[in-house]
Amino acid sequence: MKRSGDLTAHVVGFCRALRNRSIPVGPKEAADALTALAAVDVSDRRESYLALRSVLTSRRDDLFVFDQVFAEYWNPPQEQQALPHMPEPLPAAGDAQASSPTSLRWLDEALAVDGEQTPAYSPVETLTEKDFSAFSADELDEVARIVIRIAKRVATRLSRRMRQSKRGRVDLRRTIRHSLRRGGEIVDLAYRRRKITKTKVVLLADVSGSMDLYSRFLIQFIYALQHTLGHVETLVFSTSLTRVTDALDEADLHRALNEVAKQVPDWSGGTKIGYSLRTFLREHGDQLSPRTVVLIISDGWDTGEMDVLEHAMEEIRRRAGRIIWLNPLLGSPGYEPICQGMRVALPYVDVFASAHNLESLRQLEQHLAAKR
Amino acid sequence: MHPEIARIQSMLDSQGYIADRDLATSVYLAIQLRKPLLIEGAAGVGKTEVAKVMAKALNTDLIRLQCYEGLDATTSLYEWNYQRQLLHIRLQEHSDLPLEEKEREIFSEPFLLKRPLLQAITHDHAPVLLIDEVDRSDEEWEAFLLEVLSDWQVTIPEIGTIRARHTPYVVLTSNRTRELGDALRRRCLYLWIDYPVFEKELAIVRRRVPGVDGQLADQIAAFMQFVRRAKLDKVPGIAETLDWGAALMALHRDHLDREAIEQTLGVLFKHRDDAELIRTQWLDHLLRGLEDAGREPKPWNQSTLQRIADNALPRR
Repeated sequence: MKRSGDLTAHVVGFCRALRNRSIPVGPKEAADALTALAAVDVSDRRESYLALRSVLTSRRDDLFVFDQVFAEYWNPPQEQQALPHMPEPLPAAGDAQASSPTSLRWLDEALAVDGEQTPAYSPVETLTEKDFSAFSADELDEVARIVIRIAKRVATRLSRRMRQSKRGRVDLRRTIRHSLRRGGEIVDLAYRRRKITKTKVVLLADVSGSMDLYSRFLIQFIYALQHTLGHVETLVFSTSLTRVTDALDEADLHRALNEVAKQVPDWSGGTKIGYSLRTFLREHGDQLSPRTVVLIISDGWDTGEMDVLEHAMEEIRRRAGRIIWLNPLLGSPGYEPICQGMRVALPYVDVFASAHNLESLRQLEQHLAAKR
Repeated sequence: MHPEIARIQSMLDSQGYIADRDLATSVYLAIQLRKPLLIEGAAGVGKTEVAKVMAKALNTDLIRLQCYEGLDATTSLYEWNYQRQLLHIRLQEHSDLPLEEKEREIFSEPFLLKRPLLQAITHDHAPVLLIDEVDRSDEEWEAFLLEVLSDWQVTIPEIGTIRARHTPYVVLTSNRTRELGDALRRRCLYLWIDYPVFEKELAIVRRRVPGVDGQLADQIAAFMQFVRRAKLDKVPGIAETLDWGAALMALHRDHLDREAIEQTLGVLFKHRDDAELIRTQWLDHLLRGLEDAGREPKPWNQSTLQRIADNALPRR
């Protein structure tokens, strides 16, 4: 542990280092960290580590990064005291005053020095903008029609489930209030009904180079699906992940596709499915619930590390209601899912189906509506 | 170590809960900073227990709120005692009191049924409030909870605002079936409890399985380290380990062999498929692992067992 004289400054620097590695640590957490350190024995490295960890992390995924940053920051290699933006050492080594409004403001400013940083991406991304206008008109129409039909049938199933459910529970509070007006005689029962949460669909589409032949075609499908189903969240990935839900919300198909092309930096680049799924979990993980259907469209060619992919699939499987993997290659005769990524992911998939032509999309209906 | 953390550790220990330093530090900070403690981890690693022993250690009451899908503000906060209200209306049928007066009467505190959150708020000394399996509740309720945890006051339309006299100590547990919102997470201290390492599990077995033989305890704890490497639907937690130990004791076993394990697999694995997988594909390897361990000098430790497992067990 460093000298406690400049503890405050170091804690702030440490918080900034965590933020740069996308652990959400604000001034409030920094203030808590100081209070926590004041409450433990700071000469004990392990104890300080535990105290900081319990205050500054908030999910399991943070722990690994936290350990790395902690090791780098509190035990930097010799000569590497490179903390360029370190503010002047301050008095008050984390006493109770650390949480007073003034010091909070100061922490706020200190933390904002180098602002939000987005992590750099790998150099293999090809920054090409795709022109979608090359689609033939009848192709577009046909896909849109079928998808709307599919989506409607799924919606019907959901509404049937709703009608069969009971009238709701008797709302005693309101019933009694009413009865009071009639001298305590219960004439009408008031009901309340629980809101039925509809199935939510998360679409994760692979737009890397190996999917080129299909992705133009599938993006229309995704567009139509999102427009008919309502609760759809759409993200595309190749080496990185981009959320395109809002871009696709554009009413006009061509405009929507152009918007997507503009937003996705690495269309037709390499594939890092594992990393993309991990990013998805980290940034959009709250989309998942037992009522969520996760639809992944990819050929499973992953150039990243396999255990990252496996871990992410395991996590999605645990949190989501159902995982459907559409693989366009499955349509080709004699295809076996032997590429490594697909093999790793397959055990976690509930439905493994093809997506190479309209017929295969038609069959999707039964997968979406069924329960695990 | 800070003396207070050491004290908490030994206090938990005296309640039969083997706490490592991570846990003791988090509990200490939760008490010290008065922040809720969010504990995540797989099922059966002893998350709920933390709140129970914390209440005992602080010598205060435990108020438990079990979450489930559909839990709403009414069920977690308060409800009116309808039977009593109805009875009261009947009794007052012929009184001349004006309607408003009658209404005010039946919507007053004596007719209020306090649910866990309101109980915690109105308790006359700070209780431990356990919000168990918060991941099972809906997002709406999570937002409501966040509000309660921020202000420690609730408003009942018919009565008014009730403010907490003492801020409760709060422990939340989650099995991560649903990802909790960032706002709630950031309000809490965070603790991840993993499956125990060999040394910790051994201590737990020795402590909690009465009369267990030293050899058997070693083998049970080692076996658990091994078996958690299998890809199971439901990985056995500490509760299963203890049940298994008790079952083996009931069968008068003093060591593990094929017969003893096969006889008791059902205690350890709650899913048929898991039991089947272990019996058909893992048992030989597991027995070999135990044999290898038997040749090692005692006491065994985590890294010895890891090395043995790497050799004797199938890779995931």
